[in-house]
Amino acid sequence: MGNAEKNKTGLLARFQLAWRTNPLFSTGVALIVMVVVQTLALTMNSSFASFGDWFQNWLFNWISLLRNNAAIGIIALGMTFVIISGGIDLSVGSVYVAVGAFTMMLLDTGANGWLKAMGLTGVPAILIALVLAMLFGGLLGEGNGLLISYGRMPPFIATLGAMQILRSVTQYCMKMQSPTLPETYKGIARLGIGGQQLMPILYWAVLAGAMYFISRQTTFGRYVFAIGSNERTTRLSGVNVRKVKRRVYALTGFLVAIAAIIQTSRIGSMDYASAGSGFEMDAIAAVIVGGTSMSGGRGSIVGTVFGTLIVAVMNNLLNLIGVDPYLSAAFKGAIIIGAVLLQRKDKA
Amino acid sequence: MTLEMRNIYKSFGANDVLKDISFSLKGGEVCALLGENGAGKSTLMNILGGVLPADAGSIVLDGQEVQFSTPAKSLDAGIAFIHQELNLVNDLAIFENMFIGREIKRKGGFLDAPAMIAQCRDVFGRMDVDLDPTVMVRDLDASYKQIVEIARALLMRASIIIMDEPTTSLTDPEIERVFDMMRTLQKQGVGIVFISHKLKEVLAVCTRYTVLRDGAMVAQGPVEGVTVDELATHMVGHQVRTESLRQERELGEEVLRAEHLSQDRFQDVSFSLRAGEVLGFTGLLGDGRSELFQAVFGSGGRYQGQLYWQGQPVQVHSTQQALALGIGYVPRDRKENGIIKDMDILENGSIVTWPRQARWGVIAWDKVREAFFQQAAGLKIKMDSEKDGIGSLSGGNQQKVVLAKWLNAGPKVLIFDNPTQGVDVGAKEDIYDTILELANQGVAVVVLSSEAQEVIRLCDRAVVLYHGRVQGELVGEEMTDQEIMRLATGGEMRERVENCG
Repeated sequence: MGNAEKNKTGLLARFQLAWRTNPLFSTGVALIVMVVVQTLALTMNSSFASFGDWFQNWLFNWISLLRNNAAIGIIALGMTFVIISGGIDLSVGSVYVAVGAFTMMLLDTGANGWLKAMGLTGVPAILIALVLAMLFGGLLGEGNGLLISYGRMPPFIATLGAMQILRSVTQYCMKMQSPTLPETYKGIARLGIGGQQLMPILYWAVLAGAMYFISRQTTFGRYVFAIGSNERTTRLSGVNVRKVKRRVYALTGFLVAIAAIIQTSRIGSMDYASAGSGFEMDAIAAVIVGGTSMSGGRGSIVGTVFGTLIVAVMNNLLNLIGVDPYLSAAFKGAIIIGAVLLQRKDKA
Repeated sequence: MTLEMRNIYKSFGANDVLKDISFSLKGGEVCALLGENGAGKSTLMNILGGVLPADAGSIVLDGQEVQFSTPAKSLDAGIAFIHQELNLVNDLAIFENMFIGREIKRKGGFLDAPAMIAQCRDVFGRMDVDLDPTVMVRDLDASYKQIVEIARALLMRASIIIMDEPTTSLTDPEIERVFDMMRTLQKQGVGIVFISHKLKEVLAVCTRYTVLRDGAMVAQGPVEGVTVDELATHMVGHQVRTESLRQERELGEEVLRAEHLSQDRFQDVSFSLRAGEVLGFTGLLGDGRSELFQAVFGSGGRYQGQLYWQGQPVQVHSTQQALALGIGYVPRDRKENGIIKDMDILENGSIVTWPRQARWGVIAWDKVREAFFQQAAGLKIKMDSEKDGIGSLSGGNQQKVVLAKWLNAGPKVLIFDNPTQGVDVGAKEDIYDTILELANQGVAVVVLSSEAQEVIRLCDRAVVLYHGRVQGELVGEEMTDQEIMRLATGGEMRERVENCG
């Protein structure tokens, strides 16, 4: 972009070209439009004493929006890889609740705390718990990956099974438990500036950056795209397709574990029956709205971040203008359908 | 019924596919329609089957001139075309398949299964086959599927049946079953057109033959008294051998040896390959050569037998293993196996070597680009930018990109499966040059091809397969169109009885 020849064609023509051929561009434009409408809604909704007052309101609204969507945003990063590789992961919500419960049991300050029973408390216990929780999430994802790559199961079925099993087993195991978390642990998410919790947003941003890098610059990331586009050719190019697929699901499990850590530390507790339910659909929606192809091979991490934000901004907007909460799912559905219609591009 | 096709012409663009072809068939005849790939057999039969219109000429059935604008009209007139890829739905029962699109219905639109089953039994009875119409098509072997297709033709009251290479996917006993069927029909006065490459089968089942070459009729007559050799010569013609590209080379040590490799589609194949050698594997469609070398490359599943790599026994069960040893494979069917359509030219041309040009899994794109450009220049790849999608290139250039990814890997053995499929003449010569250049550098090259000319021009040695077995091996001057065709159609090796199997 930006060279003399392209400048000649004029801004409008360039806009049209990008709109027609680049899915990321139209997603970005959609996001900007949403943000403008949201800002207008915020401004007209209440009267502000000064610009500073308005700005503070605007900023806090955004911080809470980003923070509330950090967990789903992180899970959607993993889901992006899964979908680009040609698969799907329905178990993320259940992995989330399983890892959450696992972490809380490790750190329980009550009589049943696993680490406490081994005489571990304080910061070392928390660090150990974090590592174990991430490993646990990765391991659960690895289980999906093994079923799919070595068990030759369709990803939809393998992860549908895992989804049911993990939630049910978690609920069963936690029936008699009510763990409480140490205060220090809550700092993981609650640390912040000026009373605002910024950490979840920071984790999301760092992970999005890392996943972007992996998707563009590493053999693993490029293999994920290659497999989604043509698995046979990729295998015939000497790539260990099964290993790559296993890693995709393990990576997703790992990211879900991070999301679970953030949420448990933020909220301090978890409802094992409902926490994380519907996460799989929210994550898939973010990925699809972000322009990643359901059939694999095409998509991007940036798109998914945009997609997560579009859904988030829309929810926020509905909230601001006071739309009945019963209708919010209808709008979400409309956004998904609308986004995919927008993304039908000319064949480049 | 008698059928006559008179003075048929057909061309696609500037390409004359059929030139003044006349063809006739009477009830009770089995006529073989022979010719190499591209000779015009399928086009002629597609005209008869109503799939394609003729540019000129007429079709006369029982003295009446007819016009078939659609396959349905041809079928209504009693001509059934059984395509090579069978048109059966695996998940439906036999009778449902036989009546698909023409179901018998009761009042109210409900299907009358008993009536359909009864009619099927009736047809099977006439054909003398013992098949239960309620069996799922999935559970039938390939020969019975073929027979169901024939039965469907009879159910439609076809009196002429065109069979396009019906035996390619069948085993010997299955072939015999289909042939018995054909003889039964023949006695009942059905006329059959049998398109095949397998001359031994033609002698076994046909009463007449017609040979097409380059869109012209070159020979016809009764099968009685004809030999496989004569038919092969008719098919190939007296084409002068285009200049050979074979060169004298110092051959190095043996790199790869296979002993008694067997799987479903190939049996007891042994061969030895030396550095700097160009070894051809040829045969007809479905001869098993592709499956054989997919197994060697580790992508074809389990096999029996033993591979030796530089004298050491090895088992190759994954493509990573093959790549680590130094075996490369340029696959056939570029679209399915060769290119990754959503990736750019550079990525398509370098995926094999990413791990080597990466540190801690991070790809050094500069190095990748540099290596690719080096190959692209050598291969004369015509492209705008390496960032363009692979789909923006012509078939020949796409194939060169696929080649580039393997050349960069520096393999010791490189297998080319149908390397010039769908590639224009210029690119074809570039690919040949590359293959010979590799051999000169001491790479052992295997070329799998069904084009006899390709094998003759390129290879030092050719192994001819027939039904998954080594039918013979030809060295240097022994490789001629006729000889390859003869062996590929099931003829025996002459004199030299030594066989590498």
